Amino acid sequence: MDNYDSFLTRRRLLKAAGALAGASAFGGWSPAWGQSGGRIVLGTWGGDYSKLLAKNIDTPLLVPKKYEVVHDIGGDPERRAKMRAEARLPRGTSDLQGLSAAQMYEMNEAGLCLPIDYAKIPNSQYLLPQMKYPYGVGHIYSGKVILYNPKLITTPPTSFADALDPKHGNKLGIIDIQYQFTMMAAGLASGGSMTNYEPGKERLMACRKAGAKILPTNEAMAQALQNEEVGICIMWKARAVQWQKAGAKVDTVAPKEGIPLYISGFVIPKNAQNKDAAHFWLNEMLQPSAQEAFAEDMGYNGSVTNAKIPAETEKRIGFTAEERKRLIDLDYGYLAKNDSALKEWWDKTFKG
Amino acid sequence: MTAVAAPLARSSAPGWTAAAMVAPASIVVTIGIVLPIVILFRYSLNQFTPAKVMVDAVTLENYTRFFTDPFYRAVLFRTIRVAALCTAICVVLAFPMAYCLARTRSRFKNLLLMAVILPLFVGNAVRAAGWMVLFGNRGFVNSILIGSGVIREPLQIMYTEFAVVVGVIAVNLPFVVLTLQAVLEGIDRAIEEAALGLGAGPWRTFRHVIFPLALPGVITGTILSFILAMNAYATPVLLGGPTFQMMGPTVYNQFAGLTNWPFGAAMAFVLMTATLLLTVTSNWLAQGRYRR
Repeated sequence: MDNYDSFLTRRRLLKAAGALAGASAFGGWSPAWGQSGGRIVLGTWGGDYSKLLAKNIDTPLLVPKKYEVVHDIGGDPERRAKMRAEARLPRGTSDLQGLSAAQMYEMNEAGLCLPIDYAKIPNSQYLLPQMKYPYGVGHIYSGKVILYNPKLITTPPTSFADALDPKHGNKLGIIDIQYQFTMMAAGLASGGSMTNYEPGKERLMACRKAGAKILPTNEAMAQALQNEEVGICIMWKARAVQWQKAGAKVDTVAPKEGIPLYISGFVIPKNAQNKDAAHFWLNEMLQPSAQEAFAEDMGYNGSVTNAKIPAETEKRIGFTAEERKRLIDLDYGYLAKNDSALKEWWDKTFKG
Repeated sequence: MTAVAAPLARSSAPGWTAAAMVAPASIVVTIGIVLPIVILFRYSLNQFTPAKVMVDAVTLENYTRFFTDPFYRAVLFRTIRVAALCTAICVVLAFPMAYCLARTRSRFKNLLLMAVILPLFVGNAVRAAGWMVLFGNRGFVNSILIGSGVIREPLQIMYTEFAVVVGVIAVNLPFVVLTLQAVLEGIDRAIEEAALGLGAGPWRTFRHVIFPLALPGVITGTILSFILAMNAYATPVLLGGPTFQMMGPTVYNQFAGLTNWPFGAAMAFVLMTATLLLTVTSNWLAQGRYRR
């Protein structure tokens, strides 16, 4: 309240009126009012991702242009719930929300996303076509690969079928929050497809019966790999790179069934208060400098073609030309339609 | 005139004073608790569709689904079992501790009380993190057991019912100790001395004198612990892991993970009603038994 009072002083009001008059005199209200500064509320995951957004995008690219970027930190379930709860409000509390591609699709299906005006994002000319959604912009991507410890798993796996195999017993680790990708990988390994995960259920149940460990989070899996409680699992290549950097003795293999893509990006809620500034933030997110820094710091591949990633980093985080051919995007419609049923099976039958 | 007017003015004051004292808390309770509960109940009668989350309806299908699905019934019964077990152990452990605290004349009494309160300064999640360090496969307990040659392979303690029960007891114990200690403090020492003087042994004194007098504290402590355990969230999530499922995390999962608000609301109501019914019934049974 104090801040509000001090913000609304007579002097500021006069200044604002003066600025308005000045803008009118020079040809009216600028269409890109976002480029003249403002406050942007950005919903994001916490931890490294939030820190790196501040370090690589907000501080070097937005703050000098008089923008104030505030992070509304939270898990994506909470932030999606918030978007839904705020749907009926004329003015929402966030200008951007960081979500996975599947979640962006889901939020758009629920009618909560503003169509992206790519004319306001000049850097989108370099955006990879797969990352250019009508309702959101891809920021980074990685692919689901197999991680294994050569000391514990002596025959290197080549496929999801090799990885999600009951023969590994309790050396196979499965991450609870990765239920969608685990069911997808098991489906692909058992003759299913991106629109049919069903064939994988039998395989997963066999792994569970053989003693596969279900770990709650990615971090718990990192610890289990480090402790050698788990010898094999499936995970994003970017995470594998981070864990290798942290000392985990794991190798990665791109599965021959295909490498499911994980894309993380941003949407603008329909009721965002600063839509132009949100578009401007998205433009800066695609700056080569920001994308290069993210590749280096976080191990994820950028979503633009004009970023200059050092060859050594590219080798570490990227995919070979051969592997790139096997990158497969998800069927977001199938996921959105079946997610409840998949999760219910996971909770009740697989974990139950 | 003044002398007459003053008492008159005072006589009308208590009503207003009472209203003024009760109003702020009532408003907070109405806005903060009653209103959300009413909204939640309304949500529980709606229908779920993945795209729209909620479709306005008046149906009991969410409740029917809960009670006809063996999985959700098992989660509820598991929660009740864990809550009852933790509460029973808490009362058994807390009673002697509270009795010693109430009867001690040590100059360190305040320090001892502080030691009981101290764990409450640390959040549940942080305390659960401490247990994770102890219970992990390479944790303190397993390291000691393997180091001393008792076992060769680490015991699976994390993500089990045992870990959850220990964690919940650690959270609830201070509440039960403090509740019992306050009641035991109020029991006149002379009554105990009279019982002993009349030839009752310590066990008989406890059974026929101290325990009945301390019953209000036992009931309050039991209710407090049972409610906390039924609604536990952080401890089951962190120590129970993905496979040991209790009601609190399952309700959260319906809201946040599956965005199935109507079913999540129905589950929340089932949990609240079960907690209320069990609490009222046990309270009534305990009081009835000792009234006789």
